[in-house]
Amino acid sequence: MKIWTSEHTFNHPWETVTQAAWRKYPNPMTPSIIGTDVVERQVVNGVLHTHRLVQSKWYFPKWTHALIGTAKTCFASERSTVDPERKQMVLKTNNLTFCRNISVDEVLYYEPHPADGSKTLLKQEATVTVYGVPLSHYMEDLLTSTISSNAGKGRQGLEWVIGLINTEVKGIARGTDELIHSTRRSIDEVTESARKSMDEISVQAAKAAKAMHIT
Amino acid sequence: MNSIGKDCDELKKQYDACFNSWFSEQFLKGRTDDSACAPIFRVYQECVKRAMLEQKIDLSKIGAEYSTRSEYEGAGSSAAGGKQQGSKS
Repeated sequence: MKIWTSEHTFNHPWETVTQAAWRKYPNPMTPSIIGTDVVERQVVNGVLHTHRLVQSKWYFPKWTHALIGTAKTCFASERSTVDPERKQMVLKTNNLTFCRNISVDEVLYYEPHPADGSKTLLKQEATVTVYGVPLSHYMEDLLTSTISSNAGKGRQGLEWVIGLINTEVKGIARGTDELIHSTRRSIDEVTESARKSMDEISVQAAKAAKAMHIT
Repeated sequence: MNSIGKDCDELKKQYDACFNSWFSEQFLKGRTDDSACAPIFRVYQECVKRAMLEQKIDLSKIGAEYSTRSEYEGAGSSAAGGKQQGSKS
């Protein structure tokens, strides 16, 4: 068993961060999350309880495939509570169909920062357990580092959604699709321009070759 | 974000829009009556349950596992358990 913990401060009030948390997906930083569904939701004594099903696709190095199988669609169960009075949002995720040999549990706590109420503190912990397969420790290390890098991406993704919400609030919303599009465009820009110049080179080369043949 | 069931995407989109505005405009301001999105939630739920059945996703096992966890009960799920039979599903 391997436990990983982390803390992060968002420079946004708790209300903004919790709104963004519901709208965290899709974001360009975590394309691994491909679907979410609310399975159950109700308000009990002023606290919002939600059970969500989260569908994701994980990729692991090739050498692990024999042990845990190739990348496939995984379903995780996420249970959360939002208490607006205590200003606390807790999300607990448990993977459903990752692999019967592996258990990944993650807990996220969003609370106002104790030192500055205009900021939000995220506390995050993940427990990784691998049962009954060879190289269990290596597998746990690998999964933990994957979680660690995914957590970073998750926070960036949330910041991205917060940016989107703030834009909407200011009344200059451009629409999610357009924002996703422009973000993707900037990410792809380098690859795209490289590809374009390669295309141009080959077109020019073909032209030159053709010209040489004809003349 | 898409639904796990392709034909639930549109319902999910409508429900999410309703929920997001309810969450920020009502719930965070202390108004906890969630009946505004209940009709669309019900239709969306039926669609998701069907999709889960088709894809053989069994949540009941996980649900049972969770309910024995003291940490989650600490977050108030005992109250949720009591109201379970009265839920919208």
